[in-house]
Amino acid sequence: MTRNKGKGRFIALCLSPAVILFIIFMILPTINVFRMSLYKWGGYSNNKKFVGLDNFLILFKDQKFLQSFQNTILLIVIATVFTMTFALLFAAILSREKIVGQNFFRIIFYIPNILSVVVIAAIFSAIYDPSRGLLNSLLSIFKGSNAEPTLWLGDQKIVIFSIAGAMIWQAIGYYMVMYMASMASIPESLYESASLEGAGRIRQFFDITLPLIWTNIRTTLTFFIISSINLSFLFVKAMTSGGPDGSTEVFLSYMYKQAYTNSSYGYGMAIGVVIFVFSFALSAIVNHITKREPLEF
Amino acid sequence: MKKVVALFCALALMTTSLAGCAGNESKPTESKNEEQKVLKVAALESAYGADMWKQVAEAFEKKNPGVKVELTTDKNIEDVISPKMKAGDYPDVVHLGTGRKLALTETMIKEKGLEDLTDVLSMKVPGEDVTVKDKLVPGFTDTLATNPYSDGKTYLAPMFYGPCGLFYNASLFEQKGWEVPKTWDEMWKLGDKAKAEGISLFTYPTTGYFDAFFYALLTEIGGPDFFNSAMTYKEGIWKTPEATKAFELVGKLAKYTHSTTVANANDENYKKNQQLVLDNKALFMPNGTWVTGEMKDAPRAKDFKWGFTSLPAIKDGGDRYSYTFFEQMWVPTEAKNKDLAKNFIAYMYSDEAAEIFSKAGAIQPIKDVSSILEGENKMFYSIYNDGTKASMGVFAATEPVEGVSMPDTLFGTVNSIVSGDKTVEQWQNAVSEVSDKLRGALK
Repeated sequence: MTRNKGKGRFIALCLSPAVILFIIFMILPTINVFRMSLYKWGGYSNNKKFVGLDNFLILFKDQKFLQSFQNTILLIVIATVFTMTFALLFAAILSREKIVGQNFFRIIFYIPNILSVVVIAAIFSAIYDPSRGLLNSLLSIFKGSNAEPTLWLGDQKIVIFSIAGAMIWQAIGYYMVMYMASMASIPESLYESASLEGAGRIRQFFDITLPLIWTNIRTTLTFFIISSINLSFLFVKAMTSGGPDGSTEVFLSYMYKQAYTNSSYGYGMAIGVVIFVFSFALSAIVNHITKREPLEF
Repeated sequence: MKKVVALFCALALMTTSLAGCAGNESKPTESKNEEQKVLKVAALESAYGADMWKQVAEAFEKKNPGVKVELTTDKNIEDVISPKMKAGDYPDVVHLGTGRKLALTETMIKEKGLEDLTDVLSMKVPGEDVTVKDKLVPGFTDTLATNPYSDGKTYLAPMFYGPCGLFYNASLFEQKGWEVPKTWDEMWKLGDKAKAEGISLFTYPTTGYFDAFFYALLTEIGGPDFFNSAMTYKEGIWKTPEATKAFELVGKLAKYTHSTTVANANDENYKKNQQLVLDNKALFMPNGTWVTGEMKDAPRAKDFKWGFTSLPAIKDGGDRYSYTFFEQMWVPTEAKNKDLAKNFIAYMYSDEAAEIFSKAGAIQPIKDVSSILEGENKMFYSIYNDGTKASMGVFAATEPVEGVSMPDTLFGTVNSIVSGDKTVEQWQNAVSEVSDKLRGALK
């Protein structure tokens, strides 16, 4: 009994540094965000005023917040669908097919992931440039050089998709490598017997590859959705600063704007709380609806 | 025995992992010299560079033995000082104007976090026999930019100033034989003429540059009193015929704006819009005197020469205004050495300091300062000599109103007007609505 007690104490002691750090740097700040969302506070002085849930009431009537909510969801949906599809497609091709220069492609696809977001934003700003950009120059071959240029970062109907384009380009490589890794562990014999039974490549992909890497897809999906919320902020900040006229404002950029430029720190924290709850709920939902019996091989 | 070793190991682990957090604590004690007073100065490193601040700090130290100036300069000074301020470590003097993206100065005003500087005005400039007030150009301490609560008390000291207006390529006008328009009617005619040659009349770096433009325009249309009513959110002011005229004018100007402007009107690409003027693709852009330095290394059309004019008048013979932008210096109420800080501010207006600043191109509103100017600066600062009037001031300070921002609504919407996503009427209504909300929060 005393031995056990001693062991327990030892474990507790060993864990305590990590636990203390976790509490100081994760739990306490999070609690603080929740607490601050109940105050009216500019961020610097001592005049904090407790306003209860007022910040949240204002929030749900704030058109600009709702717009940023919409934009965020749109970005998450578009970026997730396209990134996942392309990453799976490329991973399947690169790991199942014999292509010349496989490694070369693998590196090329992975490169965007090494670049920092600001660099990618600069690259895409150059691509989207209305007069000298790659995209418009390419399009002018079809439209004629005198046609009005498309304003990829200026047209409010297009600009959010332009940002999504940069996000997708950036993310594909990373997830492709993740999927390739798990695809490599699927035994070759399964594919062999499937082809003996007469299953084509597409059939093999949907009936063998996809179910067997499902657990991996599930995890990455949750990862990706959460990181999209963060990444969209970086891209928006570096490419459009939320413009033109708020049409690319996302959750975090709006929160930043309110907390710092509009001197409403408490309100910003209220937005933070909504984001927190939203991301939690979203990952829970995603986790739930993608739940399958894990397959063993 | 085993237990003791285990305990020891765990403790060692804990202390080493926590030691990282405590590392910063010990530093400040080093500079704690009994005799020496430390004045913490934080200054924005703008287009003028950081060297002039170092020189001024040294000169101040020389004048005040026993005082050490701890100078922090940065291009994004907000990012450097605000985390410290949140932690309770305040600088004694801050040089940072309003109208910055992060709006730290505005936040301090809204939070009533500024020290009253009215007594600095009647202080003698160190080493000289005149008061600060006597040295300042009149009018600079009567605006909402220095007296944000309009209670006759000065909370922000006016520092470097510069006229804002329209910049253009002077030699292009000479080549084409065009006259710089004096009224808006002439402006539109010029716009049509330029269009025929494939040049747009107008562009803007970002919508943020419309602040000076709008302030001057409002003063031209309705006079200084109207401008002040607009700045203090007077009821119905944005629905008056004068305001309507201003909105419609910008609406018309939007039609003459270069087509790619909106796509580049963000913090990343705004220089591409400024480049349009250098490349003779657009005639005018609203800007400040810093633009010549900012675009110093940019390629440009042959024989390019900067030209600078105030906004055209509304009608023939009408008043023309140029908005005077100036940076401010302030003392946080939480500062430790307030007296020394005020002394430092008074010193800023001494001939010695003014000379250091003006060598770097930073001009303070001190009487007779324009006599020492040279070159391009002479042209910029002489804009007020030919009858153009100066317009000064900013929106009055309010309590923060959640989700409501005047700059976003009044200036940011210009992008939507140019791209046609919103109508001028929608814009005017939105501004009026925001004004109503802010009026209730006036200090």
